[in-house]
Amino acid sequence: MVSWPHWLVTIIIVPLVGAVLTPVVGRGRPKVIPIWALGIMTATSLAALMLIIRVAQEGPFSYLVGGWARPYGIELHFDEFSASVGIICLVGWLALLFSYHYVAETIPARRVPYFYTLVLLNLTGMIGFVVTGDLFNLFVFLEILSLSAYALVAVSGEHIAEMAAFKYLVMGAVSSIVVLLSIGLLYSVTGSLNMADIASRLAGVEQRLPVMLALAGLAMSFMVKAALFPLHIWLPDAHSIAPSPVSAILSGLVVKVGVFGLLRVYQIFYGAGTYDLTGLNTALVWLGAISIVMGAFFAIFQEDIKMMLAYSTISNIGYIVMGLGLASQYSLIGATVHIFNHALIKGTLFLAAGAIIHKTGYRTLTDLRGVGKAMPVTCMAVSIGAISIVGIPPTAGFLCKWYIALGAFQAGKPAFGIALIFGALFIFIYYIRMVNSFYFQKPTHPEILEVGEAPLSMLIPILVLATLCLVMGILGRIPISFIEPAVIRMLGPFGG
Amino acid sequence: MESQLIVSNILPAAFLLPILAAIVVVPMTRLSEHARAIGLTVMCLGTVVVAASFIPGILDGRIYEIYLLRLTPQIWIHMRVDPMGALFGITASVLWLLALVYSFGYMADEHHKSRYYAFFMLSLAWTMGVAYSGNLLTFLVFYELFSILTYPLVTHEETPEAMAAGTKYIIYILIGSSFVLLAIVFTYFLAGDQTLATQGLLSMDMGKANLIVIFVCFLIGFGVKAAIFPLHGWVPDAHPAAPAPFSTVLSGIMVAIGTFGIMRVAFNVFGLELLGQLDVMCYVQYLAAFTIIFAAILAVNQDNLKRRLAYSTISQMGYVMLGIALLGQEAFVGALVHVTNHAFMKGTLFLCVGLLIKQAGVHNVSELRGIAKKMPITMAAFSVAALSMIGTPPLSGFVSKWYLGLGILEVEQPLYLAVLLGGALLAAIYLLPIVYAAYFQEPEPAAGDDSVSATTREAPLSMLVPVVAAAALTVILGLFASTPGLPLSLARLAAKIAFH
Repeated sequence: MVSWPHWLVTIIIVPLVGAVLTPVVGRGRPKVIPIWALGIMTATSLAALMLIIRVAQEGPFSYLVGGWARPYGIELHFDEFSASVGIICLVGWLALLFSYHYVAETIPARRVPYFYTLVLLNLTGMIGFVVTGDLFNLFVFLEILSLSAYALVAVSGEHIAEMAAFKYLVMGAVSSIVVLLSIGLLYSVTGSLNMADIASRLAGVEQRLPVMLALAGLAMSFMVKAALFPLHIWLPDAHSIAPSPVSAILSGLVVKVGVFGLLRVYQIFYGAGTYDLTGLNTALVWLGAISIVMGAFFAIFQEDIKMMLAYSTISNIGYIVMGLGLASQYSLIGATVHIFNHALIKGTLFLAAGAIIHKTGYRTLTDLRGVGKAMPVTCMAVSIGAISIVGIPPTAGFLCKWYIALGAFQAGKPAFGIALIFGALFIFIYYIRMVNSFYFQKPTHPEILEVGEAPLSMLIPILVLATLCLVMGILGRIPISFIEPAVIRMLGPFGG
Repeated sequence: MESQLIVSNILPAAFLLPILAAIVVVPMTRLSEHARAIGLTVMCLGTVVVAASFIPGILDGRIYEIYLLRLTPQIWIHMRVDPMGALFGITASVLWLLALVYSFGYMADEHHKSRYYAFFMLSLAWTMGVAYSGNLLTFLVFYELFSILTYPLVTHEETPEAMAAGTKYIIYILIGSSFVLLAIVFTYFLAGDQTLATQGLLSMDMGKANLIVIFVCFLIGFGVKAAIFPLHGWVPDAHPAAPAPFSTVLSGIMVAIGTFGIMRVAFNVFGLELLGQLDVMCYVQYLAAFTIIFAAILAVNQDNLKRRLAYSTISQMGYVMLGIALLGQEAFVGALVHVTNHAFMKGTLFLCVGLLIKQAGVHNVSELRGIAKKMPITMAAFSVAALSMIGTPPLSGFVSKWYLGLGILEVEQPLYLAVLLGGALLAAIYLLPIVYAAYFQEPEPAAGDDSVSATTREAPLSMLVPVVAAAALTVILGLFASTPGLPLSLARLAAKIAFH
């Protein structure tokens, strides 16, 4: 079953078709919609599982759509990094389950089918983005996921939702155009759109200027998508105003697309071998360090819990980007594993915050005082997420801190390891504020103590993710040993 | 001395039992308060038994270890019991048991009892993990868990003072553990994953500057926990804010974990020879000596009982640091054994103060007059521990100071003898007035709210037993100090290995 060659195309087709059919299937039968969406995601997850097993067994492999060979055909390529489909499916599935009651109670009935369509499209876009082997399709999937993300931000209909979505759209659209332009530049000098092909042809390209422009353009626009400081301004509003399951997807997964794009760019240029990436690396390391500190710094002053979490995402993207920029073996392992772990952690936190906001109707720290007594299970999940995100061993967040700090020493830039470790201190501060407010302070609204736990459809995703935050820390060697060969292969002669 | 390595499958029980206890607190509470008390006591006792079971083997030169799981592809969670760890482990588990039993009475009318017991047991688990960790990453894992997850105990009272103390605590501790993390990452980068064994992980060819940076980071990191001047700020605030049984373990063990970390760093990460070459320990000696005197002077000025004892802890940890920094075998014996002796002396004092607070509502030294008539057993225990702290023979405090004194003479730095005696003298100045007031001063005739009221009486047996037991340990560890199996024998063995 694992060796069936068509899983790689199935994993895109199933959610894509499922998304389009959602309004049709749900016509007159609103109860079926969430179950349909969950079914689609279950099938997709199965495909993802098969692909991950296969890549673990035999290493990277490709699929030629329609049998057309490169450079003309569409090539899907699955390597160890593409195993991110696993986390996309997992968080996507759990967010859909979370939506079961949440959406029914917060979104107008007529919009519900479109909500599910958009979520599925968004997930399709991300899956496509990580498995495509071809730059143009990379752009196509980037657009699918970006457009659906803009709409999902607006879907709640709250008063600033449209504004947040518009801000996101403007920033996102500009960066998308730059991506397209850069791809065009690369095509003009190499005559290919296939990533592996471009990598092999770039070495012989004489005109360096268009290539460097394309590199700069791609890096810049993926930094916007990743919300790296100072290109982050779209993120806090968009992530905090979106419905909570969407926030989990946006913060856990969608921003990672930017990071993943950077990773692919690095793969191409490391593969080409003859380009000096020191400038880009230095820029990424510095921006990463600044993002860690600034994200945490802004988060400290937030009262709204989802806003806090949104800023915390900026810090965490800072970790990952710093790991990429340090470009040593350990730091890249730390960065790639954190792409995965941060999705788990932020998923836990946003879903738990969503459950709390949904049940209490409050969203600021002052209003939520004492909620720990009313919703003990959810708040325990928040605490686990908080401990994990600040990187207390042996939780999932620790691995990235350990590896990236070690990588900083390995790259001969220990100052950034120090920045990472002490930057994390800022992050502690606002999570302590949150824990203090939930557990140790007298309720501002006494009626908050009467609120019960969220329904099981919300509680289960929260608990699964919170458990994974702990388990993936203790079993951290599994993702690390999975990704290690890919990192070594990618760094090639550059590897430290 | 060749030690024999033995794989021990019961070793993980030392921290799994308390974790299990923390997990079942809530279900047991549903059953009844008695079920919870019995269950927790049994599991804590189990931990003591596990910790004690290693001692005979350790004294025969065996070392127990087990590799639990790989945290990263390269690094195992490696548990290992050597003499140093065994001594620390048994001290911690016994003190926790006493404080736990005491808690049943002390916390009876408090809020959030399940939370308190769960985190109390968890902190024991992490402490045992720190004591028995066999490599730096394992140490880090338990050390960080321990540092962070004691926050709910510091802030347990939820009063504004407790919250403020909690914030101060967590900021100090987090900055400290960041330094520890940095030092461990750097060490790992230079030396790779290695067992914490006697030879030391680092060597001179790694660059003197690097080594000094690592040492300073470790010193700052553990120094915060060990409350070395000027990193001691959190201690005097955290103690009065926390519930008395937690203050007990906070002073007895938590602060000592910092010194334990320094011991590991000095003797297992760096090793004697390297430390000699680096020539950094003399600065630690100065700091330690200053801490001893400075904290003791501050202690004299405190009216609040718990604050006074907290400053006393800072001063006593200075002794331990001095014992380590002298890098002499006898001095190290003194340092190690002082950790244990101090745990029970200070434990007794804090437990007594808890009773004074609970039974008489007394928080300050000035309110104590004549209380010995009402609470004779409590004050007797207090006096024994106070005398021991000052270093009166034949109590346990004397034993550790004797060895420290010998150590000072061994390394020929007699000036520190003055510090040792000065600290003891100051201890007399800050502790004996309490005893004097309690026994020999008459209660103020106009008994207002703040003085000993007529209804004050001795605490119930459940709280008195741990107090008396802790005081008895103080006496036993002094009188029978040289009995094999008691701390002194373990400390000598550990020192022998470290200085072999």
